[in-house]
Amino acid sequence: MILSAVVLLFIIAPLAGMFLHTGGSQFLETVEDKEVLQSVWLTIWVSFASTLIFSLGAIPLAWLLARKNFPAKNIIQGIIDLPIVLPHTAAGIALLGFISRDGILGKAASTLGLDLVNHPAGIALAMAFVSLPFLINAARDGFMAVPERLEKAALNLGASYTKVFFTISLPLAWRSITTGFVMMFARGMSEFGAIVIIAYHPMVAPVLIYERFSSYGLNYARPAAVFFILIALIFLIVLRLFSLKRKEKFISTDAQTD
Amino acid sequence: MLRLIDINRRLGDFALTDINLEVSPGQYYVLLGRSGSGKTQLLELIAGLEHPDNGKIILENEDITKQRIQDRKIGIVFQDYAVFPHMTVFGNIAYPLKARKEEKNSIKTRVEKVAAAMNISHILERNTEKLSGGEMQRVALARTLIIAPRLLLLDEPLSSLDTSLKDDLKRLLRNLNKSGQTIIHVTHDYGDAISLATRVGVIHNGKIIQEGSVDQVFNNPSNRFVARYAGIRNFFRVSIAGENGSSYGVTEHNVRFRLPGVISGKNRLLLVKNDGFTVSNVMPENRELNVFKGRVTEIIPSEFGVELTIDAGDIFYKSALLSDVEKLNLAEGKEVWIGFPTVAIVVLNGN
Repeated sequence: MILSAVVLLFIIAPLAGMFLHTGGSQFLETVEDKEVLQSVWLTIWVSFASTLIFSLGAIPLAWLLARKNFPAKNIIQGIIDLPIVLPHTAAGIALLGFISRDGILGKAASTLGLDLVNHPAGIALAMAFVSLPFLINAARDGFMAVPERLEKAALNLGASYTKVFFTISLPLAWRSITTGFVMMFARGMSEFGAIVIIAYHPMVAPVLIYERFSSYGLNYARPAAVFFILIALIFLIVLRLFSLKRKEKFISTDAQTD
Repeated sequence: MLRLIDINRRLGDFALTDINLEVSPGQYYVLLGRSGSGKTQLLELIAGLEHPDNGKIILENEDITKQRIQDRKIGIVFQDYAVFPHMTVFGNIAYPLKARKEEKNSIKTRVEKVAAAMNISHILERNTEKLSGGEMQRVALARTLIIAPRLLLLDEPLSSLDTSLKDDLKRLLRNLNKSGQTIIHVTHDYGDAISLATRVGVIHNGKIIQEGSVDQVFNNPSNRFVARYAGIRNFFRVSIAGENGSSYGVTEHNVRFRLPGVISGKNRLLLVKNDGFTVSNVMPENRELNVFKGRVTEIIPSEFGVELTIDAGDIFYKSALLSDVEKLNLAEGKEVWIGFPTVAIVVLNGN
């Protein structure tokens, strides 16, 4: 009991302390600071766009992982989880090599006149790199919870594979996918390590907080941190609401019938 | 109509082996088998949810072995119904029509029509989550019937319904069959088979071990397993002896059966059918009967009365009505006579 309380306190105390140390006027000043607002806005939309774009590939991949058996499936599953265990700065370095003008993707982008380094597109890639596992894994679990029997029944009734995916699998796994979506989005938003290597500018909120801290010190960085934490909290609450309702009650999972 | 030719399919430890089966148009084919016998797998092969390792599936003279599920027009109703939980009853029944991109108005009329036939018009707007088992069953059936399947496959459709619903559904299935729908129905319950089938196949360990009309299968069970299905419990391993032109079977406890006709071979398995099997307090006089004196060792209540266990050297089982128990004043330990005609005995190969 006491130990649990200590752990909880350990999470709450620094945050509470930070909130208490931030005066109302200081906070209002920060909220009106154009640089801060821009960076928060940039962080939100880039993370959102990154999540949205990558979900187009991630969701079908999750379905494949849930439904199909293929060689090296375990290895692929391992690769997907890899970004979770990598130090994020290391991930940033790896990604930089890939998207700088000498890298494969960088070259391709520069023929289109796009420099990915120090560009929102580069930031989106960095965010996706570290946060994709959250979406893929959540969506995979969601698809796995859909009884395969329902998909087979739909096929038997004459629906095509695509039709079955969009009318049966996707709607039934929707809640898990949304949870994964919010998790990927929130994780992308809070990313610092990989992004700071790819793009110091334009500044996402975590980089801005770091920059304020290293240039001006704790007091100056604190209000921006509080503001960003509040934004993140909103998304956390949304996420919790989703996962609380996440009682996917279907008919018995692919019942043992014979 | 449907022909399965030399179908084999291995699934882990289990295999469907050399399945040959023929169903003619309008037939009500009941495939009888215990759980794990492979009957559901066989249905899934026919529907195209699984594919055989080798062999052919012919439907209406067309080889459909490799045809895609969605093109077969074979309806299957799963044991757990597989009703889509995120759609209303209407949405479920309309699903196959929507998948075929039919016009909205025609979908509505057709759904209403089949719902009326299935007696579920009043629940069309309901969510499927709160439906009873019987309602789910009808929804699943309506959803399948709306595409007018060439062949209807039913996986244990009666197993999770209570008795009155069972009778309703049986009536419905019988009428459906009478109106021309060819049906293959798998079940573990031989009562279903007797009351519905026009033809019966018995599947055991992935093999079809007997096939024929209901009478053929239940009156001439080809082995002990099928006999069990027919409710026959009296089996005896005997060695054959001949005497004065008649054959006798003798058990290791020296119980001696007079057999129908002359039986060749040495070791055989006898089964004694229930018809003509009598229990009485005095010795039956008919000389054509096999007659034994025994002792009632157990009287166990059963579905229709009691199940008697009688020790006459070997153990005989006999179901009896409660009124018979009273009339004969039966009690455990009491001595009785049992008798049955030689024609009640079926002689099987010894293995």
